[in-house]
Parts: sequence; C-alpha cells; structure tokens
Amino acid sequence: MVIFDEELRLLKERVLRIGSLVEAAIHDSVKSLVERNSDLAQKVIEKDHKINALDVEIDEECIRLIALRQPKARDLRFITTAMKITTDLERIGDLAENIAERAIELNDEPQLKPYIDIPRMAEITEEMVRDSLDAFVRGCSKIPYEVIKKDDEVDNLNAQVFNELLFFMIQDPHTVSRATRISYVSKYLERIADHATNIAEMVIYMCEGKIIRHMKKPGE
Amino acid sequence: MAIFDEELNALKEKVLKLCCMVEVAIRDSVHSLVERNSELAKEVIKRDHLINALDVKIDEECVKLIALRQPMARDLRFITTAMKITTDLERMGDLAVNIAERAIELNEEPQLKPYVNIPKIAEITQEMVRDSLDAFVRGCSTLPYEVIKRDDEVDELTVKNFNELVGFMIRDPKIIPIAIKRTYVAKYLERIADHATNIAEMVIYMCKGKMIRHIAPTES
Repeated sequence: MVIFDEELRLLKERVLRIGSLVEAAIHDSVKSLVERNSDLAQKVIEKDHKINALDVEIDEECIRLIALRQPKARDLRFITTAMKITTDLERIGDLAENIAERAIELNDEPQLKPYIDIPRMAEITEEMVRDSLDAFVRGCSKIPYEVIKKDDEVDNLNAQVFNELLFFMIQDPHTVSRATRISYVSKYLERIADHATNIAEMVIYMCEGKIIRHMKKPGE
Repeated sequence: MAIFDEELNALKEKVLKLCCMVEVAIRDSVHSLVERNSELAKEVIKRDHLINALDVKIDEECVKLIALRQPMARDLRFITTAMKITTDLERMGDLAVNIAERAIELNEEPQLKPYVNIPKIAEITQEMVRDSLDAFVRGCSTLPYEVIKRDDEVDELTVKNFNELVGFMIRDPKIIPIAIKRTYVAKYLERIADHATNIAEMVIYMCKGKMIRHIAPTES
C-alpha cells in the first residue's frame, strides 16, 4: 500500500496546484480591472486552458486510482470528493476569465468610480478557496466551517456594490452600461464564493461521513 | 452480474427522477413570474429540499456501488459521471429557487412589459436539461453536441434581453431596480443552460473515454 499512499500524496499535490492556479486567476483578473491593465486580463484568458487541462488530468487519475487500487471507505470518499472539487475549481477559473473579459471592456471606457469593495470581495473569495482546499488535503484536522460564514460577507458586499451602482445609474442613465458590467463582475465574484462554499460543504460532508459521531455542528 | 445491472438501472432511474424534479422547478419558477403567481413561487422554494435530499442519496448510492461492486472501465466511468451530474442538477434547483425569489419581488411591483424573452429562454433551457440527461442514460449519440450548440442560442437571447432592458432603463431611470431584477432572471436561466452544457460535455467525455477510437475527430 506504500505505492497507493504515494499516489494519494501526488493527487493532493495536483489538487493544491489547480487550487493555486485558480487563486492566481481570481487575483489577476481583479487586478487587471482595478489597475486597468488589459494585457494582464488577456493573460488570465490565455492561461485558462492550463486549469482545464489539469482538471481533466486529475479526473483521469481519480478514475485510474479507483479502478486499479479499489480503495475503501475513507480513501474512496477522498478520491470521489477530489473529482467533485476540481469541477468547482475549473468553473471558478471560467468565472475569473469572465471577470477578465469584463475588465477588458471596462478598461476601454472612462472609469466610473474607484474600485473598493470588489478587491475586498476578491480577497475573501481567494481565502475561501485556500481554506477549503487546506482542510481537504490536511485530512479534516480543521473543518472549514468559517468558509461558509465568509460567504455571507461576500453576499453583503455584492448587495452593497449593487446598491451603489444603482445610485449612479439613476443619477446618470449614461452610466447604465458600465455600471451593469461592474455589477456583473461583482456577481461573478459572488458566484466564485458560492463555488468555494460548495467545496467547503463537500469537505465537511467528507469529514463528517468519516467522523460523524464525534462532530458537533456549531451554530445550527 | 444481474444484481449489479439491476443496481445500475435503479441508479439511472434515480438520476432521471432528480432531473424531472429539477425540470418542474425551472418550469414552475418561470410560470410564477410570467403569471405573477407568488404562491407557486413559494412552492418551488419549499420543494427544493427534496432535490437536495435526492442528490445526497444518489451520491451515497454511487459511493456504495463503487465500494461494493468494484466496477471497471465503462461502469465506473458511468457512476462517477452520475455523481458529477447530480451536483449540476442540484445547483439548477438552487437557481430555480433564485428565479422564484426574484418572481416574488417582481410580482409586487407593476409589470414593466410582458415577458417575451424569458419564457423563450426557459423553454430552450428546459429542452437542454432534458436532452443532456437523455444522452446520459441512453448511451452515446450526437445528442450532447446539439445541447452544446443550443447554449449559444440562450446566450444570444440573454444579451438581447439585457440590451432591451438597458434601453428601458436609460429612458426611465425609475424602473432600474425592476429592470435589473429581470436581467437577473435571464442570467439565472443562462446559468442553468451552462449547467446543462456541462452535463452534455461530461457525457461526451464519458463516451470518449469508453470509445475514444470510434469518434470522428470532427466531433471533438
């Protein structure tokens, strides 16, 4: 079983690698908007195929491990969770690409207002992705309940961004097209946070399926 | 292997049942908006837990099948695809809830204009959901490729809907909050279509993994 342990370790490494690619994509897409750097946005779009390729690679590896090693209980649940998590990560990558696309459009127009809440949202969502993946690879030593709480923070910021933009639009209808695009960026970030929450929930499910009788669900 | 065949059939049936529930949720959520029926919208929201419960049940069933029957190649790929597909279906259910929530809000305001684009988008989207699931349970065909093609139609209609509403907003800023909510409903439907596209892509991938040498390269 030493070979299998090594294979599992490599699988974890790959999941972490796709995680850091996705974090960088979120970070750079928002940076390309805030710093009005369309070249950086272009790079995010170009690099998305790497995330897609790694997703397929991890999926293939998981199927291979299940078929060849016939893992039981905990390991099997770990591998099936890895397959589901990477699907979410890949979609976060697509959303970062959408942010980069909107950034390119918005950078062509005069700036409506300085971006304050959007970078904060990006920061929180990056943390959410990192924390849920940490919990996943570290074998449930720290269950990612806080990730789910942070999702509310992102939802609130999204509502705040939206209300502010509404105010701009009502005052000057010519800003509608720009303001709506900014509201989309905020929506994309909110969806990224939802994906991160999904990952956290899957990790919690995996962990509790294993130690369900030892866990108390806080705040329920 | 007769027992295993029976189990696989039961799994297919459960996935189809989940699909039906999701289709009904999409249909009812859009009806609740178009017919201004907030009671129906509340029904959709109330029923969502049934979709969530069936998703978890299918997931458990898949893990059990893999662990107990140790399926190989084609069957294993089928089961892991089922696990991923139900995650997409469950999220479509969440989006139907979001549509129902917006419907309740919109039904309280005067109607801006009759709904034309949204029912059209909903119709195509429901077909996509049904066809992507048909492709999954009926084995490999050209059906999933057609689903992917129709996603462009949905995207185009969403943009058309958006541009029309921006026109309204510029002419009369007072209606901006209502118009924006309507753009959100179209966006939710567009995301449901994206999930159906994801399912179609997973089915193609499942089929190729099985018969990679028999598929013409033009289809890839």
